[in-house]
Amino acid sequence: MFQIIGISGGLMKEVDRMRIMVVGAGKVGSTLADHLTKEEHDVVVIDNDPEVLEKCQDSLDVMCVQGNGANMQTLVNAAIDETDILIAATASDEINMLCSLAAKRLGAKYTIARVRDPQYQESLRMFQKVMDIDSAINPELATALEIGHLLRFPFASNVETFAKGKIEMIAFHAQAQDAIVGLPLKDISAKNSKIPRVLYCAIQHGNKVIIPNGNSIIEPDDHVYVTGEHNNIKEYFRTLRGNRRLKNVMIIGGGRISYYLTQRIIMDGMHVTLLELDPKKAQRLSDELPHATVLCGDGTNIDTLEQEGLRNMDAFICLTDRDEENLMAGLYAMRSGIPKVVIKNNRSNYSDIIASLGLDSVVSPKQITSDYILRYTRAIANRHGSSVEKLYRLLDGQAEALEFVVKEGNDKFLGKPLRDLHLKPNTLVAVIVRGDKIITPFGNDYIEAGDSVIIMTCERGISNLNEVFR
Amino acid sequence: MNILLVIRMLSSILLVEAASMIPSMAVAWAHGDGDVLPLLYTALIILAFAVPGFYFIRPKDKNLRVREGFVVVALAWILMSTFGALPFIFSGFLPRFSDAFFESVSGFTTTGATVVTDFGRMTHGIAFWRSFTHWVGGMGVLVLTLALLPKLSDHTSHLVRAESPGPSLSKIVPKMGESAKILYMMYFILTLAEFLALIVVGMKPYDAAIHAMGTAGTGGFSNYGESVAYFQSVGVEIVMTVFMILFGINFAIYYFIFTRSWKDIFSNEELRWYLIIVALSIILLTVFLIPYYGSVSSAFRYAGFQTASIISTSGFATANFDLWPVPAKMLLLLLTFIGSCAGSTAGGMKVVRIAILLKQGKREVRRTFQPRKVQTIRFEGKAVDEAMLHSIALFGFTYVFIVLAGAFILSLEGKYDLITNLTASLTCVSNVGPGFGAVGPAGGFSGYGPFAKMISSFLMLAGRLELYPMLILLHPAVWRHT
Repeated sequence: MFQIIGISGGLMKEVDRMRIMVVGAGKVGSTLADHLTKEEHDVVVIDNDPEVLEKCQDSLDVMCVQGNGANMQTLVNAAIDETDILIAATASDEINMLCSLAAKRLGAKYTIARVRDPQYQESLRMFQKVMDIDSAINPELATALEIGHLLRFPFASNVETFAKGKIEMIAFHAQAQDAIVGLPLKDISAKNSKIPRVLYCAIQHGNKVIIPNGNSIIEPDDHVYVTGEHNNIKEYFRTLRGNRRLKNVMIIGGGRISYYLTQRIIMDGMHVTLLELDPKKAQRLSDELPHATVLCGDGTNIDTLEQEGLRNMDAFICLTDRDEENLMAGLYAMRSGIPKVVIKNNRSNYSDIIASLGLDSVVSPKQITSDYILRYTRAIANRHGSSVEKLYRLLDGQAEALEFVVKEGNDKFLGKPLRDLHLKPNTLVAVIVRGDKIITPFGNDYIEAGDSVIIMTCERGISNLNEVFR
Repeated sequence: MNILLVIRMLSSILLVEAASMIPSMAVAWAHGDGDVLPLLYTALIILAFAVPGFYFIRPKDKNLRVREGFVVVALAWILMSTFGALPFIFSGFLPRFSDAFFESVSGFTTTGATVVTDFGRMTHGIAFWRSFTHWVGGMGVLVLTLALLPKLSDHTSHLVRAESPGPSLSKIVPKMGESAKILYMMYFILTLAEFLALIVVGMKPYDAAIHAMGTAGTGGFSNYGESVAYFQSVGVEIVMTVFMILFGINFAIYYFIFTRSWKDIFSNEELRWYLIIVALSIILLTVFLIPYYGSVSSAFRYAGFQTASIISTSGFATANFDLWPVPAKMLLLLLTFIGSCAGSTAGGMKVVRIAILLKQGKREVRRTFQPRKVQTIRFEGKAVDEAMLHSIALFGFTYVFIVLAGAFILSLEGKYDLITNLTASLTCVSNVGPGFGAVGPAGGFSGYGPFAKMISSFLMLAGRLELYPMLILLHPAVWRHT
């Protein structure tokens, strides 16, 4: 093998450079290819349509191969055996799954497939297992989950989960009247015994991110990141900001996202009013979602909205197929004083303009899908043989939240109390998850094999738990 | 037009050109026969233009659109040739600008046509620079810039597409910068191999370097007036014949050898066409030349060398083929049109286009008597889509039209006959070098006036960049402020 790669190999120390194959050069596919090349990976794009590929070739520094991604010859021609990650993001679920299966058999190390049809959702785990797909993403489901998070914590600007959903990390804006503002962190629970203990894992002040210690003080308008168990966090926000749980939610547009979302938030005890224009679709939704109020009507018609009690709603969510209608309806709801308005918008170019109108909760299934896949590939790139489970970057990577799964071995930190270990500066052991137990670590706690450990750090390029300790 | 970005990219290309003068300076200094200073002055002048552009101009908009890509390529080649002409002027070797510019363009475009008549006056340093332009121009200066300098813009594929020969762009590895590095590495290794082989067959190292660079870029400059005939050595001719044919092959093939993808090599349709054309031409030419030379072996010797020289668009000569029988000359004329494979350093229309055009012609014949037959044209085992067929057909027409229009404009000087003007235009567009008549292997372009020399320079640039980048410069809409 001709190893000229070595010349520039030295430049990329932070993450492994991988060969990544993106099948399907649609919006998600090309966005991914763009981001991945910017992260210095070698990207090969496969698509059936020569015109689409032409565009790709012109705008991105990638190799383009024309053909069907599930075709063995195409994959072999694109050197699948040297590929680290294959991302199947064509319009067809079936091709995506077949493509992942073929790629795995032909030597790809990891495969990610986009599978969006709710029909496959139940059998997805089985498919994933049988076809050896490492990660399957359903954009609509992921979007619904994201909206669900935003509804559960209406104050949150961002919600991340760790340790298979056991731990949540919430970002929110501190306000002057919040009880946590202006006190050193170590005194907060002493002064306000009602506020549950959560871990403050990062504070963003202006453009700077700090990893706080006991003496750090939260100021108004800071962006605060806290972690903890779901119930703990819920309680925390209840005492901090009062009981502003959302009860009545109105959703317009009865697509897949609405279906998944309704299903989930009903379980949280919210009441859902769902508006869908198409009578047949509305009928089917009403069959599938017996606990929701499904209405057949035009959700972008102001009269209809007022008639159905828009003003009594705690949240208004626009999920129609048309970005413009979502925006208009969302703006109307915001002006009517609905506390939480979420809109779906797939055109990422316009997100600044929308934010300037005051709509801060905008979700884009495409963005969520590509973010998810990017994060997954980053975690693989950071793996170096160790086991970063999840990687989350705050503020363009100024700080990182990393989740490690600790393996058996003779690492020096195993079983030692944390107080005897020396952490790197600006680094924090945020949470230790042992089985079902969640430990907010203090000096006496220790790390064992099998634990999931979440680290917050401002150091870059940490890929191994050993690097956290000096 | 994003002027700032264009200036910055041109500056970085000029930086590379300035650096490429270092070997010539070293050679001039080592031989001690003068002309270090003309090269040094030129390099300093280039730096005076390029350094401010490279260090102080930071365009905010780094988005290189198609338009800018083509303009950068065309302007880069014109600027490079202009600066590349300065050593000839400063040294007093070719004091007139039109002569020096012609020689420089002929070098960079790897044409190898020359206005030099008095080879004895050429110092080692100047001769080395003249041939070094072949080497740099062969693989492409933008490709070299991409290989050497950090990423200039996100959309560098426009640049390489405009500079690299062939109907479609194919990368060797996903990253453009790395593809460029690999290409130059293979180019260097092959050149080095020829250099060593030429020394083994008895050339002096200096001559070997000149001729190795001339072959690698498929240029054809020699430091002797008689070209390769000066050596009168079968060994030299064999080595050069083999390497001229090798440099006419798509460089992706050599990468397949490194990666041991033998299947990709054997299934390469263009390579098959190329080798078949070479073999057939050698056989035919040998047959035509037997009466002229009187023996099969010497007919084969001259036929082999000249076929390789013309089809690879190098233009070296071991005989004055202008005196050959007419069928032999016609065959060489045909080869001048065809050229070599896409992705090589050679010029001409490229074998892939000729092959597809022939298939298209065949399809059209079939269609006239069986219009209902659905016919797809396949190349490299894949169907060629109609848009590509269309652009190739149009390229073929444009090529012929430019050759004819060029010949017409050259004839306006009223100096030479039809054959001279026609083959002069063709040999410039195809980047071969010698034509027939007054511009034949025994003559040169020195007889033309300054106007004709500038026209020929334009034709050579147009041929090297495959027509459109140069033609774009002539289109007013490109320059409109949008």
